[in-house]
Amino acid sequence: MNQYARMIVVLVIISLVAGAVLAFSYKVTNPKIQEQAQQALQQAVLKVIPGAEKMTAVEKQGMTLYIGMDNQGNKKGIAFKTTGSGFSGPIEIMVGYNPREGKLTGIEILSMSETPGLGARIKEPAFTDQFKDKSVSDEFIPKKDVKVVTGATISPTAVSKAIKSSLAEVTKIYPVGGDF
Amino acid sequence: MLKELFFIIIGSVLVNNFVFSRFLGNCPFLGVSSKTETAVGMGMATTFVLTMTAVAAYFIQNFILVPFGLAPFLQIVSFILVIASLVQLVEMVVLKISPALYNAFGIYLPLITTNCIVLAVALLIPQKNYNLIESTIFGVGAGLGFTLALILMSGIREDLEFSDVPDALKGPAIVFITAGLLAMIFLGFAGLVPL
Amino acid sequence: MTQLIKDFTNGLWNENPIFRAVIGICSALAVTTAGQNGIAMGLALTFVLTCSSILVSLLRSIIPPKVRIPCYIIVIATFTTMVDLFMKAYFPPLYQVMGIFIPLIVVNCIVLWRAEGFASKASLARSIADALGMGLGYAWAITLISIVREVLGSGTLFGINVMGQATHWVIMLLPPGAFLVMGILVGIMNMIARKSVKNTHCH
Repeated sequence: MNQYARMIVVLVIISLVAGAVLAFSYKVTNPKIQEQAQQALQQAVLKVIPGAEKMTAVEKQGMTLYIGMDNQGNKKGIAFKTTGSGFSGPIEIMVGYNPREGKLTGIEILSMSETPGLGARIKEPAFTDQFKDKSVSDEFIPKKDVKVVTGATISPTAVSKAIKSSLAEVTKIYPVGGDF
Repeated sequence: MLKELFFIIIGSVLVNNFVFSRFLGNCPFLGVSSKTETAVGMGMATTFVLTMTAVAAYFIQNFILVPFGLAPFLQIVSFILVIASLVQLVEMVVLKISPALYNAFGIYLPLITTNCIVLAVALLIPQKNYNLIESTIFGVGAGLGFTLALILMSGIREDLEFSDVPDALKGPAIVFITAGLLAMIFLGFAGLVPL
Repeated sequence: MTQLIKDFTNGLWNENPIFRAVIGICSALAVTTAGQNGIAMGLALTFVLTCSSILVSLLRSIIPPKVRIPCYIIVIATFTTMVDLFMKAYFPPLYQVMGIFIPLIVVNCIVLWRAEGFASKASLARSIADALGMGLGYAWAITLISIVREVLGSGTLFGINVMGQATHWVIMLLPPGAFLVMGILVGIMNMIARKSVKNTHCH
């Protein structure tokens, strides 16, 4: 076999084997990856809606909303995902909202790449807990009605802005005082 | 639109400089930053390859990997192969078209394949959901940021030759410490543009 | 057998990729903000390095010299993607922290350096010994960097508070801290080895 043919054959065989091995690994790990993502989502939703035991997802006006219910099927609140632009990348936040009372029921930071020890402290309860029972008509301005516990202002501002702007959309679908 | 592009370029050159704040491309950063002349050559070559990679990554991701459902597991392999062939291609084309240009930065081309900035840019483009123009600008910005870091460092290192550095810190150690001080300066750009 | 031990210990100290050869440092600077990140990254790299070295060593007589680099790259990229998928599936919190630096193992000079410089010329047993030594040498080095940065930056060690409020030097967790700690540690290693690193192997 001449030299070039051998080169091509070896390269093609290696690529094919690599492709097959990867396709197989993907097939094995993918269900687990999906499951992890689903689980993380469910956990976050249940965490931001107190009393909720299960959830259903609904699509409304291009938004995905999660309705949390207790075991009897009583609706306990709504949760939605929003994204803010932080210091070093997007911050994904899950927000719990109770239209009947017009209050937030909690928030949870899903993913972010802020600086550890600084902006990353928005993940800590000291920061996230203050959004519990916060009225949706508040201003959401750091250092005014949002405590900045992190020493940095960029990350808390990103979180507050993202919540406020997506609340504007969500309250159009589920107005304060209305049912859901 | 223009505003977003401006933000991308300032973001990748100054605020999130690829070397000083994203820690990418540190191997060549240490290796070729001892002379300003080579730093400029390496920077230009890398910027050129990065721009082409950004465009290629955009097309591969959106027209091959995603439509065929291959993105989750063939992304890394296909991007690195495309980068390697692209670098080879650029080298051959430059040699054919302009030997002068080849002499200026051709020798740096083979080293670029293993510069992690290139693969990182390719991988970040799908993550950030950039369109074609944004991707291109992102590639250019990454290259300019890398070039800036190289030139700054080479300028300092040329002077460092004549300084009295403690024996143990000679070589890479003092370069790291210098880079640390430069990185501190770059922290000052934080918040210049919304990311 | 002595040869194998020699190959293994070579990476741990004499040619330690981080402190002596000073290559593959991007990930060593980027993910080292907490102790467990260092260990996880070290293990991920050791896995890719060992598997790639095994394959490269086994295929060394089959792969034509002219296309050896593309072949090595495909092999390395395959194992890297496997680690990437595996971490995504079983360790999502760690995966989030490492982010892009897991896929970037492909272009980590250490892997190609050992594949090209050692495994492509040596027997299987020697390649495994060398890869394990290099991988663990990388792992202990970046774990040490992580520990220093975590203790100084957040006052904790593997998440357990050890310094109280004494050291909350956030700068250590920020990029400048990474460079400074790295520079000082390389300097200390130079003092221990009583000779300074002349040149980097990579580029």
